[in-house]
Amino acid sequence: MISFLGFSIRRAWQGFWRNAAMSLAATATMTLMLMLLAGFWVVQAGLLAGLDFAEQKVQVVADLNDNTTASALTTLENEVKAQPAVRSVEYISKDQALANFRASRSEQGQDDLSTYLQTNPLPASLNVSLFRAADYGPVADILRADPNVQRVTNIADLAARLTTISEFLRTGGIVLLGVVGAIVLFIIINTIRLAVLGRAEEIEVMRLVGASDAFIRWPFVFEGALVGLLGAVLTLGVLGAAADPLGRMMVDFFQILPLRVGSISRDVAVLVLGTGLGLGVLGAWVSVRTYLIR
Amino acid sequence: MTLAPFRNRRSAHAPDEASEGRAARRRTGPDGVERRRPVLVLNNVTKTYPNGRSALREVDLVVPEGDFVFLVGQSGAGKSTLIKLLIRDELATEGQVVLDGDDLARLARRKVPMVRRKVGIIFQDFKLLPTKTVRENIAFALEVTGTSHGRIGPAVERVLRLVGLTQQAGQYPSQLSGGEQQRTAIARALVHDPRIVIADEPTGNLDPLISWEILQLLLRINELGVTVLMATHDADVVTALRKRVVALEEGRVVRDEVGGGYHRTT
Repeated sequence: MISFLGFSIRRAWQGFWRNAAMSLAATATMTLMLMLLAGFWVVQAGLLAGLDFAEQKVQVVADLNDNTTASALTTLENEVKAQPAVRSVEYISKDQALANFRASRSEQGQDDLSTYLQTNPLPASLNVSLFRAADYGPVADILRADPNVQRVTNIADLAARLTTISEFLRTGGIVLLGVVGAIVLFIIINTIRLAVLGRAEEIEVMRLVGASDAFIRWPFVFEGALVGLLGAVLTLGVLGAAADPLGRMMVDFFQILPLRVGSISRDVAVLVLGTGLGLGVLGAWVSVRTYLIR
Repeated sequence: MTLAPFRNRRSAHAPDEASEGRAARRRTGPDGVERRRPVLVLNNVTKTYPNGRSALREVDLVVPEGDFVFLVGQSGAGKSTLIKLLIRDELATEGQVVLDGDDLARLARRKVPMVRRKVGIIFQDFKLLPTKTVRENIAFALEVTGTSHGRIGPAVERVLRLVGLTQQAGQYPSQLSGGEQQRTAIARALVHDPRIVIADEPTGNLDPLISWEILQLLLRINELGVTVLMATHDADVVTALRKRVVALEEGRVVRDEVGGGYHRTT
């Protein structure tokens, strides 16, 4: 068994370098395809992270009557916090609301209209952040039922739109990833098939001198694995070198996105290595099988 | 005929079995005449390809151990198909092909390599691997059948000496003449110590002088006890040697005589 493994690995290594042009072409194709797959994965992960961020920004805002007592406010606040869909609750006083309004006007470079008013017309409010925009219903109901609540902003439209976009991106992303994956699979298997085809004579000689299927197949499978691993390592190398400038570009483009770079790069490494190795082995297995059926 | 020297050498796979087996296989019949065990038996074999073309029709052939048989016939007569059946590259549509006691149609797929190791095959185009030296090409046949490293070296040196290529062992096929390439192919065919050597037009690509060299080598191998079946177009060779001649025409055996000439029957 050990000598068989030794033979297969030695032959795979020799086979790779003795047909260097074909092997390197297969490795280059593997690298390009894995980069395509990884690039697509990163974009998809970025979009979904952006979407999560947007969902977190969605708030149910309840404007409160000016005469709401502190104890009534605490009761309402606790009731809302107890809801599982609620991430956090923030109380904005009338003064704070006015300050926020002024800040936002000045940020937009517009006049502060509030200086024309004698009194502060803005109500105090409870700003409720949710985990998912789609779960706003029960929270809004509780707020509306409270006599101290003047008005609850209607986020039904916004929630529905976000949910639609989110579902579309998730489903579309998976479908597209599947399509890209299938194209990558097809191209890589065909490239490896070409590499094996170039060695048809060798396989024929092996068959004629009475080599068993395992002795014919495994060196090619190891060679396929080598092509896959090499392609994966090259891909990760390129991605690693490009990660910083790309990451900065993404942050600039999307403004501040809380992308968890660590977990994405771990996922991409697993994806690239797994896909490279898997496709290399599968491609070689399928290609050699054609010759073994007889 | 002296059979012993080659077959008695220690084989890579079955050190002493070859010679002992041979002694046991030689039988004397009730009439006192020595009977040799058949290496190859074709029993009423027909091969029709899926496109309907009949390549072989009702072929009967028995080749006893130690025979030298010429297989002659024009292109398309069925020689190549017959050889494909013998190495189980194809299966007979009807009839039986028995090689060294194994019915090839009934053979489990995993046992096919074992049967192929009993056959040493030589082609017109040599089928040598260009990226391997002479020695590596020969050793390759043993490596891919799982022979231990310690046995490969001596077995390769033995066949290199037999075909006279010891000096050229480190050269690549592209550095060799046609005759040397074919001798390398013969050495590779012999390194397994096969029961039968099948040569498909082995001199087809060679000039007459080199062809005779190759033929001398095959005759020598036959004298050492290996059965040889050689498909050829070379009328001079067949007529001069007066060995057994099996002639195929349109897939049928039209002549099977010992000491015959090439004699096309057309």
